[in-house]
Amino acid sequence: MSKYELYFYKHLHFLRRFTQWATIVFIFVVPFLNKHGYHQVTGTFYSLSIGQLDVLDPALMIQTLLLTKQISLSMLVAATFPVILALMFGRVFCSWICPYNLLAEYVAGVRKKFFPKKRYVLNHNPKPQWYWLVFGAIVTALMVLGIPLITLISFPGLISSQAADLILNRVVGVEIFLFLIVLLLEFLVAPHFWCKYACPVGATLALFQTKKTMRVRFDPKGCTCDSVKNLPCNFVCPLGLDPRRGDIYPYCYNCGACIHSCHAHHGKSLHFSFTADKKIVQSGINLKTNRPIKEVDV
Amino acid sequence: MILEFLQKLANYHYPLRPPGAIPEEKFLNQCIRCRKCEEACPYDSIVMAHGNRGLKVGTPFIYARREPCYLCMKCTEVCPTGALQLLRRDEKEKVKMGLAKINTDSCLAYNGIICRACYERCPIYREAITLEKEIYPVVHAEHCVGCGICENVCPNDPASIIVISAHG
Repeated sequence: MSKYELYFYKHLHFLRRFTQWATIVFIFVVPFLNKHGYHQVTGTFYSLSIGQLDVLDPALMIQTLLLTKQISLSMLVAATFPVILALMFGRVFCSWICPYNLLAEYVAGVRKKFFPKKRYVLNHNPKPQWYWLVFGAIVTALMVLGIPLITLISFPGLISSQAADLILNRVVGVEIFLFLIVLLLEFLVAPHFWCKYACPVGATLALFQTKKTMRVRFDPKGCTCDSVKNLPCNFVCPLGLDPRRGDIYPYCYNCGACIHSCHAHHGKSLHFSFTADKKIVQSGINLKTNRPIKEVDV
Repeated sequence: MILEFLQKLANYHYPLRPPGAIPEEKFLNQCIRCRKCEEACPYDSIVMAHGNRGLKVGTPFIYARREPCYLCMKCTEVCPTGALQLLRRDEKEKVKMGLAKINTDSCLAYNGIICRACYERCPIYREAITLEKEIYPVVHAEHCVGCGICENVCPNDPASIIVISAHG
């Protein structure tokens, strides 16, 4: 691991929080500028325009295609930017940009203070089938009912849209209760379940996971932990995943909290990787004995 | 107060869609509620519907009496999905937001008071609204684009000329 990588991992949490807060500022500044006549940047997380460049949420492109049975070239081009980002870096939009995720992280943090005993771990590394089942159900409902369901439940779009409403018209609509109720449920019952299982925006981005897409890799040789429960990496994962195993995708959204935590606790086992390693560690730690499993040649 | 409310209720008519809007059923599928048209409108005419409009929440509307459309076409330029078809400023006659309708019972000109407000302000000059015998305003359906400027400037309250939306 080069010193630049180590530096990056050391400041990962700060960099990510900074980006998330910068996005919050962004969604208020853009309508403010529009109101005062500067239209160079306009839009919401449904669709954004920076100068002549259009950026469209690929989930909405799929929705429009399914509902109207046609697509325009400009929409296809506009959707390629988030797709390229997802192809290269995975679901970093979710973990570094999405305003709903920032709120959900704070809600989960408050939940830990209120209910410190309720360590509700949703399921360490659930099967991918559940994820695609939920997404498939949403898409099917969309087609059967003929309503723009993804627009209605896209929380980054909704939050940025209501921020714009607040700035432009000094009101918010009852629609904010959509995500407020989900946040409440996350506080009371199951933290981060929306990002982990339900959000169709993230699911569309997860469709573009390839072998070369950036992923979190675990190397047992670098692991310095001895305990079985509450390891720094497991404990801090917002989605309740176990990063020591290879089956964290499509759930993992590349926030790097596990990596930062590992390095902060003097370990060096986790890192972001772009390569499909030939030697793949199937599941790095024998969870009963907590001893590393030998690397497996593929 | 109740009378005012009832009057408002009786005079309610469906608000307008921005210029270039495709037919309503297709519009609801095509519009992704991105708000770019609202952000682009220099006159703050476009507002997004709230929860009271059910599934139309987040889609753009124009309330003519509040602020009409001035046919600058900036909204059609920014719409990313083509829910608002692109139009140039010199193509304002192609717009079909609705049709103006005059209530001859309440219109001042039809009741002996000289008023030319709608005729003078109509942007489709001397074609969409003409004055019969130099006094009585008449709407010509083939030219009226439904921008709502006439409804906005009518000195009567409730307005004697209203725009019936083409979209529902």
